Amino acid sequence: MLTEQSAYTNRWRWVSPTAKGILTCSGIVAAFAASSPRASLLVAALLMATAIFGAGIPATRYLRVGAPALLFLGASCLSLLVTLKFTHGGGTLTMQSNPAELSHIARMCGRSCACLTALLLLTLTTPLSDIISLLRSCKVPDTLLDLMTLCYRTLFVLSAAIHETITAQSARLGHSTLALSLRSMGGLVANLTIQVWQRSQALHIAALARNNDGALRFLEHPFAHSRRHITMASGAGVTLILLAVLIP
Amino acid sequence: MNDAIIRLEEVSYRYPDGTSALNNCTLGIHRNRRTAVLGANGAGKTTMFLHLNGIVQPTSGRLFWGNTPLDYSRAGLRKLRSKVGMVFQNPDSQLFSASVREDISFGPMNLGLDISTVRQRVDKALQAVAMAELADKPVHNLSYGQKKRVCIAGVLAMEPEIIVLDEPMAGLDAAMQLELTAVLEKLHGGGITIVIATHDLDFAYGWADQTLVMESGRVLAHGTPDDILLRPEVGETLGATPQVAEIIHSLSLIGIDLRGNGYLPRTKDELVKAITAFAGREDTP
Ligand SMILES: Nc1ncnc2c1ncn2[C@@H]1O[C@H](COP(=O)(O)OP(=O)(O)OP(=O)(O)O)[C@@H](O)[C@H]1O
Ligand SMILES: [Mg+2]
Repeated sequence: MLTEQSAYTNRWRWVSPTAKGILTCSGIVAAFAASSPRASLLVAALLMATAIFGAGIPATRYLRVGAPALLFLGASCLSLLVTLKFTHGGGTLTMQSNPAELSHIARMCGRSCACLTALLLLTLTTPLSDIISLLRSCKVPDTLLDLMTLCYRTLFVLSAAIHETITAQSARLGHSTLALSLRSMGGLVANLTIQVWQRSQALHIAALARNNDGALRFLEHPFAHSRRHITMASGAGVTLILLAVLIP
Repeated sequence: MNDAIIRLEEVSYRYPDGTSALNNCTLGIHRNRRTAVLGANGAGKTTMFLHLNGIVQPTSGRLFWGNTPLDYSRAGLRKLRSKVGMVFQNPDSQLFSASVREDISFGPMNLGLDISTVRQRVDKALQAVAMAELADKPVHNLSYGQKKRVCIAGVLAMEPEIIVLDEPMAGLDAAMQLELTAVLEKLHGGGITIVIATHDLDFAYGWADQTLVMESGRVLAHGTPDDILLRPEVGETLGATPQVAEIIHSLSLIGIDLRGNGYLPRTKDELVKAITAFAGREDTP
């Protein structure tokens, strides 16, 4: 939901998604092209600064969205760094780390950070409908995109349905004890399954009524100054990649 | 009956589970009229509407567009659906895209129009339902009434000849209802035939110029509201009569005849005006 909010309210909402896409791709390329962990961390820092100072995403929100991914990254790096060994003789558990692998892990960690910030830049500044039309112009198969469109929409419809069902159940004391709660959960799942089916049926009928015969087609939003934005993004992207390669 | 734009002749429809939803239903929708379809829950209003759009085909009986039987081929359905726009009851089950503009463009894009025409129509439809300011809000952050208006805009953008709305007023507050009525009035003024299923008898009495009362899958009565809605058998199936009509009737019992100048009030506002006028007449002998 936080991502969702920023996507609709940031300063770059009306910047062409193509431009933002180019910047993100350059960020990912730069992450892999980086010659050292230091370079990739610099790329990450630049991308983060772009999101916060360029697109005007509040720093706290940025960190909150990025935190789960960062934690996950930290945990995995740690587990790569440290290996547990069970020594046969004494039967004791020891922790070992292999210094030879250290640089390898640091590079991977840096890369992941840069990729993460690149993707965050796109998702925090661009609503999913715009990302989907961007993917469409990149010739991603229609079926996949239709699925994304429907899932995105259905996500909100169903989350509202879940919320309402739980409220209704609580109102009739359905969640007052653990046992009742489990029972109500079962009811919720059963009810939701039927709802999903009925809603898909209703959507199908509604699509027919509006003369649909297969692929979902929508009008794309025209973005002002998109050529200028794309040029700027390309310039910034190339600079980013060069920086990543040249910094030792 | 012959000037009907679309009509059902002896149509019966049985759902796959065996429920018989329409029984020898014969009716016609007239061009440029405001038609209100009334009937108790389960009377078959929604099922009848699904026939008008070719979503379901009658189990027996036939439908006509003017005088030609409906053509259920791919091309025929395409043509029918571009002429009959259908707004369903639940907005959440008919909005596809999370973007208002995109969703409204869905129908016109399906019609295969070129991009600039689609863009024009989307803007025009947004204006018509007064949603232009909210066009860039995601659908899931809109209120129920606003979603409903997006649904109507989605159909308007296809520029149909008939718009069929299934209980459009349900769930709207009084102000929204008035606004929606104004939107419908504007559309009707623009030459669109409007058909509405509703449970709001008072609205139907004041708004419609044709009423169609359904009971267990068939038409119980069809005609002007004055003619139909005061009949005892209609009152029985609907469980009520229009309040304005009831008040006029009660007033006539105590000797106040608002019919005086041949004009019968149909809405609350008209009634108040008529009573005020009557009082004025009494005061100045
Ligand atoms: N998908 C379905 N499968 C089986 N039976 C159905 C289905 N939809 C409706 N029915 C049945 O068909 C009959 C007519 O239903 P319909 O929805 O047309 O009524 P309605 O007049 O629109 O009612 P309401 O005012 O409640 O919307 C009802 O008896 C209903 O139970
Ligand atoms: Mg219905």
